[in-house]
Amino acid sequence: MSDFTDKLRPSQPDGPTTLAHERGQSNLSVEELSRHLLSSDGFLERQARVLPIVQSEPLFSKEKQQNLSRPDRFKLGLARAKLLRRLKDKYQWSHDEYKMAEYLVDDVSPYFLHLEMFITTIREQASEEQRAYWMPLIESWKIIGAYAQTELGHGSNVRGLELEARWDSRTKEFVLHSPTLTSSKWWNGSLGRIANHAIVVAQLMLPKPDASGECVSHGPHPFIVQVRDMETNLPLEGVVIGDIGPKYGYITMDNAYMLFDHFRIPHSALLSRYSSLDPNTGIYTKPEKPALVYGSLTYVRAQIVHHARLVLARAVTVAVRYTAIRRQFQDRDGDKTGPEMAVLDYPTVQIRILPLLATTFALHYAGQAMCAIYQNTRKDVEKGDFRSLAHMHSMSSGLKSLCTMLAADGIETCRRAMGGHGFGGGSGLIQLNNDYLSKPTVEGDNWMISQQVAAYLIKKMTTAVESSSSAAVDDTDALYKEFIRSRQGGATPPSDLSVLENDSNIVKSFELRATALTYDTYEQRVLKKRSWNSLLIQLHKLSKAQSQSILVATFFEALSSDTSLSPPVKDIMWGLFRLFAFNTMENESFEFFRCNAVAKSDLDQLPNRVHDLMQRIRPHAVILVDSWMIPDFLLDSALGRYDGRVYEDLYNRAHRLNPLNRITFNPNYWEEEIIKGSGDDVSNVLSKL
Amino acid sequence: MPSPPPDWVKALKPSGPQGSELLAQERAQSKINVDKLSELLHTREFLQRQEQLVKLLQPEKVFDKSQNHTLGRVERLQRSLAKAKRLQQLAEQHQWSMEELHAANELIGEPTPYGLHASMFLVTLREQGTPEQHKLFLERAAKYQIIGCYAQTELGHGSNVRGLETTATWNPEDKTFTINSPTLTSSKWWIGSLGRTANHAVVMAQLFIGGKNFGPHPFVVQVRDLESHQPLENVYVGDIGPKFGYNTMDNGFLLFNNVKVPHVNMLARFSRIDKDTNKYIRPALPSLVFGTLTWVRSNIVLQSGGVLARGVTIATRYAAVRRQFQDRDADSSSGEMQVLNYKMVQVRLLPLLASMYALHFTGRGMMNLYEQNQQRMKAAASPGQDNRGAGPEELRAGADLLADLHATSCGLKALASTTAGEGLEVCRRACGGHGYSSYSGIGSYYSDYLPTLTWEGDNYMLTQQVARYLLKSARAVLSGKAADNDTSRILRTYLDRREKGASFDILENDADIVDAFAWRTAHLTFEALKHRDAEKRSWNSLLVDFWRLSTAHSQYLVVKNFYEAVSSPKLSQSLDNETKTLMHALFRLYSLHTLEREAAEFFSSGAVTVRQISLTRTSAVMKLLDEVRPHAIRLVDAWAIPDWQLDSSLGRSDGNVYEDLFRRASQENPVNDLVFDPYPWNAAVLKNEPPKSKL
Repeated sequence: MSDFTDKLRPSQPDGPTTLAHERGQSNLSVEELSRHLLSSDGFLERQARVLPIVQSEPLFSKEKQQNLSRPDRFKLGLARAKLLRRLKDKYQWSHDEYKMAEYLVDDVSPYFLHLEMFITTIREQASEEQRAYWMPLIESWKIIGAYAQTELGHGSNVRGLELEARWDSRTKEFVLHSPTLTSSKWWNGSLGRIANHAIVVAQLMLPKPDASGECVSHGPHPFIVQVRDMETNLPLEGVVIGDIGPKYGYITMDNAYMLFDHFRIPHSALLSRYSSLDPNTGIYTKPEKPALVYGSLTYVRAQIVHHARLVLARAVTVAVRYTAIRRQFQDRDGDKTGPEMAVLDYPTVQIRILPLLATTFALHYAGQAMCAIYQNTRKDVEKGDFRSLAHMHSMSSGLKSLCTMLAADGIETCRRAMGGHGFGGGSGLIQLNNDYLSKPTVEGDNWMISQQVAAYLIKKMTTAVESSSSAAVDDTDALYKEFIRSRQGGATPPSDLSVLENDSNIVKSFELRATALTYDTYEQRVLKKRSWNSLLIQLHKLSKAQSQSILVATFFEALSSDTSLSPPVKDIMWGLFRLFAFNTMENESFEFFRCNAVAKSDLDQLPNRVHDLMQRIRPHAVILVDSWMIPDFLLDSALGRYDGRVYEDLYNRAHRLNPLNRITFNPNYWEEEIIKGSGDDVSNVLSKL
Repeated sequence: MPSPPPDWVKALKPSGPQGSELLAQERAQSKINVDKLSELLHTREFLQRQEQLVKLLQPEKVFDKSQNHTLGRVERLQRSLAKAKRLQQLAEQHQWSMEELHAANELIGEPTPYGLHASMFLVTLREQGTPEQHKLFLERAAKYQIIGCYAQTELGHGSNVRGLETTATWNPEDKTFTINSPTLTSSKWWIGSLGRTANHAVVMAQLFIGGKNFGPHPFVVQVRDLESHQPLENVYVGDIGPKFGYNTMDNGFLLFNNVKVPHVNMLARFSRIDKDTNKYIRPALPSLVFGTLTWVRSNIVLQSGGVLARGVTIATRYAAVRRQFQDRDADSSSGEMQVLNYKMVQVRLLPLLASMYALHFTGRGMMNLYEQNQQRMKAAASPGQDNRGAGPEELRAGADLLADLHATSCGLKALASTTAGEGLEVCRRACGGHGYSSYSGIGSYYSDYLPTLTWEGDNYMLTQQVARYLLKSARAVLSGKAADNDTSRILRTYLDRREKGASFDILENDADIVDAFAWRTAHLTFEALKHRDAEKRSWNSLLVDFWRLSTAHSQYLVVKNFYEAVSSPKLSQSLDNETKTLMHALFRLYSLHTLEREAAEFFSSGAVTVRQISLTRTSAVMKLLDEVRPHAIRLVDAWAIPDWQLDSSLGRSDGNVYEDLFRRASQENPVNDLVFDPYPWNAAVLKNEPPKSKL
């Protein structure tokens, strides 16, 4: 369609002009920084290889997806997931390349659970014999699986699950049964409409030895169960399954409910690498080391932490580019003749976006550290050394909680910093926001799991106090013992720790605060015997302080040990480190003060320091987000486009891509007709729904 | 829709204790008189009307809400227009007042395409039109013979009205205006009801007479044909596409290619062009325009309490029904603990519960001030004043009050809508996994509410106006020329006592809490003044300080209004002692929790000591949580939000959470009508569907 609007251009200076200017004013090399961030595991090269393939498939076009109904959007999601899987064969993609393609398409895949939890659970918890049988079926996609643990009435507390698997010694079968409505499996991804098999976690019910015929629970155990017919894909007799309905996000995922009615499964269904039941004697063997079960959960959490940087980087990329282009009001102190001021030059916008820009890098280094620790711990555990397991578990819990919160809240902060257009479909942050907001509650609710961190730290502190005179066994222990010693001299003088000119003191200050809070909590819980429940708020604060300390420390260590970055890039990276640390410290300044973790005079200086750091980083903001190399195809954002053609794109989306504009409505309330000339009245509209 | 589940599923009950039993237990452990409290909050008339409206609306199939979350954008808008039409028919049939129509719309629970016609279009015509224009436009608009909207913001321009690019050029030869869109960024954008519904618009455009710009002015412009509903020639209009929320509203774009409108189409109550001399006649009484904006903002503050109440009602009821883990200190035979007994759930929900009361009373307080001020202004608006110029601060009649109220409304609007918007998300997350389901009733409501944080003045931009006013007041206080209002009073008190220092007993004395908040505001004001006037720092470099100052000032106002409300004779007369005591506890919870979160500012201003803050954190707030906890359910019940309006499985007043989640998932979910082919090698998505995709 052609009309008078074709010749209209945005007012000057337009987006491309502005972004060219922004990129010209920084001396940083995008190539250098992006290689530093994303090349170590071949990410950048992979992205360059896979992007053109994905982009050329019409099915992956994102133009219309926001307008679809849930059923249509789900169909589209499944069609895309199928195509992705076929492309993997066509191009002989590695698993990493396949994941890259999925990342760029940006739909939550209905196959997700098949590829992750289903296969991982079989790999880790099935016996050798079971693995030999199931793995080929899964890897060849002859069966498609899901993972069914949480229930309608039960989330994080696995022990509270209600679904029963009762052993029938007569037939040598288990009987799966849902005794209540709350025992219905719920939220289980890939299971609602797709999977024909599932790992089902149920209470293992075995007859009491007293031959009374009564059963007793031996705790939740995983079973592999066929739940749908392989031909019709309808649920088997005695199983009810469905999708749980619309959600805030995850529209392309078929999260399920599932109930069983005395449904019989063979003895071989119990995954028995760690625990098993002798079918002949009925004797049950317990797991040797229950902590191992946490292995895959820790892995998932480490992945979530590592991925958070890219999620936040995406939001910050859009926000930085758009606020550099968007102009509003003239400077009050200026001469008021020039154009309006770029919104990114307002400190009230900077204070929301630039610390988040710094956070993307903090998340990057923390994610790398987390993955390295996971690999090392795995190696230790394979060798039979379990000592580092608790530390890793605590660290992954705390970082998952803090990093997903930073990313989820960060996306929303960026969206709002963009004013009205941030609310529009052209922002590119809507599906991201909707999908990512599941993260603060999934894989361990952020508030719940902070208890695990605190419990671990209290335990460490207790040990340190009890053994304060002996040598430290690890870094944390050393830190704690030093703290305990420093307190023995009676009242401590006000801290003179200066952080403004000394970066390693910043790390020290964060450690001190976390240590002081740990000691405080230890005192409350262990010495004063306060109830756990009354301490929960404090425990959450402790977990946050500890994880912030890890973010600051890993950021510092990464920059200190780096030898490859050029001086200009390194200089700005240190600036970002300080911005992240000082902004965090300022937000928690009363706690730093109370913990005596930093000199009071430094605390008073923080607002000015943060302001100065923002002015230093501001000219490089666009280059810094460019370095995350997020392709336009993934951003899917009129506001965040690389070329800055914001307004042309917004208009194109509204004008040409919007299906609503092909319909003419009848606006008169006394006429029942809704669509002009269709004769469709209200009841017709309703009956079609 | 899917067929019903088999009998063995129908027979299942949730494991005990049942949600209904838990809520009954909750209600039994508190003696708060819910009805009395509801009446105090909403008035008896409102509650009766609400009940009648629910009875009338809920049975109508057109208002069914079950598919709201699954439909595509196009279907949703069609359906929403059907709802809007039916509402208007009912309004005519039952002779509803504006309040009744508004209440009905609230119960429907989503914005409709008539929204901006019924609000901004009619209001603008009424307030800015002359009697002649009322006859020409308003009368027809009131009967929906013409349907309109209010077209101000543009693709490239939001809060800064002076930056608008659309032009209206006066043609002396034929006494018309030419409306034109010179650039793409001048396209009107975000205009509610314009995308597919309206046939008229009030268009804000830069008025040019003889080459000179007289700033933005309102023009009535017809944009679509009244018969065919097609855009008129040289008008380009459409819907701007899907959004984060508000998808049942057709926010529109609009471009003009030199469209002529007659002289009478410029709304001329406050400024006009003399047809004969072609001269511009200067605006009179612009304060009334500021007045409307102040009213709109005060209303946002009042509503924010109700918005938050929806999230808090849902999350609190669900947290009483949901149980998770055993108490770590309890013996292992006890059942799982109600989530609402967890301190970390309480610390998220109960201060929000206190906030919804705080915001409600603050909104009420502001509306009262506004009414008083309108009376004073009307009494003083004699003809002799017509030629006074510009901003509200320079007006004579009621000037002190208006300036105070205008600045106050800016800051409070920002604080209240941010508190409500972010509070909803806190509530959603506090519901754990099920909070993510659309059936929680929070997610889509949150998405629909979020624009309130940007419209009627972006929350961050607004804070500058508050700071400007406070600096001005501080200068006046220093020079001894201060107006007689509350702001001057708190600034003066601070100056008088600054040397001696403060010693507020925030832990024991409620009035001292209010004074501590006032002290902090005054301290921050004089700090900012020092930066600006003595150190000559640039305005721009101080924006973050101003934002903090505005937040501090607004928090003071909420604390002050809340305190006045709970100490008022009206409250004493209508509530029994136990409920009254609890209202004071809510006041303290809101205030002390806020004080604790902003501890650094209270400490550095010298309003309180470190010891006091530590005690607030470890002891006072904890005790208040314990004090409020047993009454939590009754306190949300008192808000009297009908289940139909909540539209939430988790927040049902009967506590049947799990039955309802299951019913909706299995019976109202169209995805379960479809059988999919799961294998990647089969391109068909559905079983028995030819392998082609229409998408």
